[in-house]
Amino acid sequence: MTTKPRVYQTQLAVIGSGLAGFAAAVFALDKGISTAQVGNTGAIAYTTGYLDLLGGCGEQLLEDPWEGLKQLRNDEPRHPLSRVSDGEIQEAFSLFTRALSDMGINYTKPGERNLFALSPAGTTKPTLSVPETMITGVTAKDSGARTLILDFVGLKGFSALELVSNLRKSWPGLTAKRLEFPGMTTGAQLYPEVMARALEVESTRRQLAEMIRHELGDAECVGMPAIMGIHLPDRVHADLQRMVGVPLFEIPTMPPAVPGIRLREMFEQTFPALGLILVPQQKVKNVDLGEAGTVLSLKDSYGDVVIETRAVLLATGRFLSGGLHADRFSIRESLLGIPVTQPEDRAGWYRKDYFDHRGHPVNRAGIEVDELFRPLDASGVPINEGLFAAGILLAHQDWMRQRCGAGVAIASAYKAVEALSGYLS
Amino acid sequence: MPATSELLPIAPIDFKAKADELLPEGASYDSCLNCGLCSSGCPASGLEGMDPRRFIRMAMLGMNEELSNTRWIWTCTQCRRCMYVCPMSIDVSVLVGLARGQWPDEKKPQGIVRSCDAQLRFSSTSAMGLRTEDFIEIVEEIADEVKESDERFNDLEAPIDKQGAYFFINQNSREPAVEPEELAPLWKIFHYVGADWTYASKGWAAENFCMFAGDDAAWETMVRQRVDAVNELGCKVWVNTECGHSFYTLWKGIDKFGLDAHFEPGSLITYYAQWIREGKLPVNADWNTMGLKFTLQDPCQLVRKSIGDPVADDLRFVARALVGEDNFVDMQPCRSANYCCGGGGGFLQAGMNEQRRAYGKRKFDQIMTTQADYVLTPCHNCHSQMEDIGEHYDGHYRVVHYWTLICLSLGILGENERKYLGPELMDL
Ligand SMILES: Cc1cc2nc3c(=O)[nH]c(=O)nc-3n(C[C@H](O)[C@H](O)[C@H](O)COP(=O)(O)OP(=O)(O)OC[C@H]3O[C@@H](n4cnc5c(N)ncnc54)[C@H](O)[C@@H]3O)c2cc1C
Ligand code: SF4
Ligand code: SF4
Repeated sequence: MTTKPRVYQTQLAVIGSGLAGFAAAVFALDKGISTAQVGNTGAIAYTTGYLDLLGGCGEQLLEDPWEGLKQLRNDEPRHPLSRVSDGEIQEAFSLFTRALSDMGINYTKPGERNLFALSPAGTTKPTLSVPETMITGVTAKDSGARTLILDFVGLKGFSALELVSNLRKSWPGLTAKRLEFPGMTTGAQLYPEVMARALEVESTRRQLAEMIRHELGDAECVGMPAIMGIHLPDRVHADLQRMVGVPLFEIPTMPPAVPGIRLREMFEQTFPALGLILVPQQKVKNVDLGEAGTVLSLKDSYGDVVIETRAVLLATGRFLSGGLHADRFSIRESLLGIPVTQPEDRAGWYRKDYFDHRGHPVNRAGIEVDELFRPLDASGVPINEGLFAAGILLAHQDWMRQRCGAGVAIASAYKAVEALSGYLS
Repeated sequence: MPATSELLPIAPIDFKAKADELLPEGASYDSCLNCGLCSSGCPASGLEGMDPRRFIRMAMLGMNEELSNTRWIWTCTQCRRCMYVCPMSIDVSVLVGLARGQWPDEKKPQGIVRSCDAQLRFSSTSAMGLRTEDFIEIVEEIADEVKESDERFNDLEAPIDKQGAYFFINQNSREPAVEPEELAPLWKIFHYVGADWTYASKGWAAENFCMFAGDDAAWETMVRQRVDAVNELGCKVWVNTECGHSFYTLWKGIDKFGLDAHFEPGSLITYYAQWIREGKLPVNADWNTMGLKFTLQDPCQLVRKSIGDPVADDLRFVARALVGEDNFVDMQPCRSANYCCGGGGGFLQAGMNEQRRAYGKRKFDQIMTTQADYVLTPCHNCHSQMEDIGEHYDGHYRVVHYWTLICLSLGILGENERKYLGPELMDL
């Protein structure tokens, strides 16, 4: 028996379905480029949902990311963000957040300053844009509003008490309360995803709202773990808020958390309707680069899938997502064997002091690209005219320390799509 | 005094060693990040004190005895949603299948074992024990009734063993055994489009509970019999009736056991969509003047575990054509990311109703969120499970086959073929 291979022909194939891959797909569709995308769950599933542009370096937190970028261009000219202008970054973020809103998750408009958004542990982190369901947490903290923080029996990785005790010094109007989630009172472990899906049902919302109203006291607003629906969270949020009668906001929880699941699920459900060919939850096994075009191949449970494309955008992430692979001696790029800029040997990967403020060289390893975001071979020449790359696979950035994960992903995806669109025409 | 086998623990499997053998090259349970995405999205999480992450972790820790004995393996429907969301593509269902196979028959859920036994007993391969001679008689009787009651179908045929027919139709035994009048809508559709098709006098039944029993040898026997039957008749395309697992079990079985099949497996849904596109099935939603709302359940076995999103697209294309664009509401999540309803993997036959309904609560919530009047699904297990949880949790929706709506839309649905429709559609 043979199941026929499924063959697709497109102008662009995006390899990777993290933020960089999704952003690239958004930008490409916006330009009317026919696009296929392949990739499985990556780092995006673990995100807080916040879109960081540039939050700082080590301990130092940036209020003004644009000032920070100026500094960065001076200090680290090879940083991927240094290769994108302010104007382009603004355009990229606003296109992307607008697309997210159109697809079903409203984000705040990226502005001049960083927002200081709440983390599950009760610290704040600088970020450029947050889901609308979370913004009231930022403003309530700034204004010191009397706020009730809720958590739930059985939910791990989110403690209202801990959050309140960490924040109370700067935010005295905070109180904490633990509730039993309606219909889930057996004491078994609760997952935020399960609660979020349950809140998509109106009757569950009504029951929860009733319980919250009961505990409200003189609180002016209520914060709770991010569980307000997976699909169309803004609708769930608005409805629950209407029922409770005061502003509500979400705070991200520890993985497996809702914001990442939300994003991934939304892309998966809406992209195909926009004409994108999505091969979800699979990895490309082989890439055959040619002069006139490239052939990607992979196998899913039902057989072979072949994508014939003119341009390829590689956004396969780092170690966690499988874009980079480390063995005992060195780091390599997993799919095409593109040279990886890295310390000379493994001894140079980490500095002696784990908390060294300069970070660790291994975190800046990655592939090199030219000004058109085309990966370079060992002699510094583009590997293929139609091959582009974006995201945290790129060298010379340390997204975790610099709090620039989404920034690098979105900005580099924008530049790469601009370049490849020129190539395609 | 030796204990009876009832009391003896099940001989433990070395899960870790087996996993290394079974997994495709490069995949490994060792790569588990312990992130919990699998458990977070698995409706069987928490049943019998187990969840997929825990299962993987215990396997890696060599806790083979506990894993070999947990009843949780019968509540996991092997739907593979965990693998779908796992960043490392770790497949828990492989280990679950292995564990099931290790249980002695007398300890396995008897509903599953009995169904598999029945399939092995007769050449019909019917899990309901229906023999071929009875099947043929029922088919002839129903065909005669259709011909007599509707003159548009007086040349309708329901052939058995037609050599060289293009389509080989595998029939789920539920219709001939329990509700024979439900056979006719599909025949009418075939007649309408002029399809060249046949049933067979052996291996005609579609279901396969041996796979659910974890009995690979029986699964192979089953698939082999059916493959031989199709090969002998020289049919080009094998299609089964609206049923999820029968489709998976056949193509997967051919692949897994390396059988020599001279045909292509096809899904009925793909053909519905094709015939509508070609204008051979001129369905429309004009009948839906009441604006009845429909959602649909993607069968895991057909979508995520088999053809993937292309067939999910066809399911929606056909549904929209049948009920009207504005009357179709997708469940969330759906397509390849859908949740199993809890009717799969033999759960419906396992006699663990409380667990099965707890599992199904998530599907129930998803259905209720759509506020649909009807759930469409091309799968018998999904159909039964969603009806059951609907009744149990007091939902007011009905579950319906595609063939019913296709015939309704074409104005060829008989009065006695409306079992799953509400009173509002009885006279249409
Ligand atoms: C725990 C955690 C929390 C985070 N929180 C934040 C946050 O609050 N704010 C923020 O801005 N950023 C955050 N990030 C970072 C952010 O998620 C990443 O910066 C961003 O996702 C990087 O995007 P990327 O697309 O380059 O890589 P990734 O997200 O790693 O995606 C790479 C993709 O490539 C796919 N892939 C790999 N190999 C192949 C192949 N052969 N074929 C097909 N596909 C392949 C992977 O499956 C994956 O989908 C967080 C990350 C983590 C891990
Ligand atoms: S989703 Fe995958 S990696 Fe995460 S805990 Fe489950 S099996 Fe492990
Ligand atoms: S196969 Fe389905 S039921 Fe079984 S563990 Fe995975 S998600 Fe849960």
